Amino acid sequence: MTDRLDDAIELLKTPPALSVESRVMAEVRRMSAPAPRRRLFTWPRLATGLALAAGLAAMLLIPRSPQTLTPGDAEGIAQFVGQFPGARSVEVVGSFNNWSRGLLHLRDENHDGIWRAAAVLPAGQHEYMFVVDGERWVTDPLAGRFVDDGFGGGRENSVLIVRPAVQR
Amino acid sequence: MLAALVPGTVCAQGPGVTKLAGRIPQEAVPAIDSLIAAAVAESLPTEPLVQKALEGSAKGIPADRLVNGVRRGLVQLRQARVLVGRALPGQPQPEGHVAAVAAALARGLPPSIAERMLTMSADEPPAPALHAAADLVAHRFNPDSAADLLVAAHAMGLRGERLLDVAIAADQELQRGGGRMPAEALARVRAMLPNVPAPKVAVTPHGKTGS
Repeated sequence: MTDRLDDAIELLKTPPALSVESRVMAEVRRMSAPAPRRRLFTWPRLATGLALAAGLAAMLLIPRSPQTLTPGDAEGIAQFVGQFPGARSVEVVGSFNNWSRGLLHLRDENHDGIWRAAAVLPAGQHEYMFVVDGERWVTDPLAGRFVDDGFGGGRENSVLIVRPAVQR
Repeated sequence: MLAALVPGTVCAQGPGVTKLAGRIPQEAVPAIDSLIAAAVAESLPTEPLVQKALEGSAKGIPADRLVNGVRRGLVQLRQARVLVGRALPGQPQPEGHVAAVAAALARGLPPSIAERMLTMSADEPPAPALHAAADLVAHRFNPDSAADLLVAAHAMGLRGERLLDVAIAADQELQRGGGRMPAEALARVRAMLPNVPAPKVAVTPHGKTGS
């Protein structure tokens, strides 16, 4: 796990390929407008927790390059992006890190409210949430896949399906 | 297999169970231990239960609700194993299959559709087909029609993550302008089989750059 986190930190030092960045930002821009077809996400619920801050994020498998990571056969790279203006900290907590806090922090390098992180993850399904400012658990509305967390509070985890970087 | 009531420790066996040490509320330990021990005794995968316990603890869920969440997970695993056994009679029931079915059920996939996906992918890991079916159902496609599409795609040679592409293509067709109906979207994707588009930003083989 430590190696993976170190890898993720290294990856964060390298900007993603332009096409990926463009897609992420396109998604963020798209989410800034009303999204009537978004069927598993309701703005009022998120707005309650975030006030005016919109929690926006996307996970993308990103291209390999010498400057980035080299996932193993059964691994892929996931990039997390969220828009949290004014946030002091944002982290990703999920099944891929045993729901442990403090292991995968997003960064807002440009101080524009867009927080980013990347990590090599095992291929397959993972559940996760963002934790903003150390206390607010936020569903990633751009995940596209959601599942009730099963604890009776009506909260949903985001679901991430990581494809293996190397196709068999 | 009684829990040793040492704060935060769990007595049940299993490689994933040690992750729980010191991570879950003391008052939840006996019940969690019992649930995991039941899974072990029934040869069910324990990792989903361990993860659910860790998740609940991380979120600060009260002990009673945390235990209920883990119990719900155990029920889904049991249901999943029944489905696997019915879909693949006389065959081994790998923990990965059971866990994948349970995860799909949790996402709302009807059991009958999960069983179809298992039967369809009898000789391969079923998770991608289950994910694809769960995606389509989550996007409000008719479950049987969605399963028909995936079976057709599979019959045309699409395997693994390419089945996810089928689900993505269907959703993209649905999102196109003009108020396309779900049935129409499925029909359009079916017509393009097996040539559904791959994601523009996706898995990139060694030595190539992404688009």
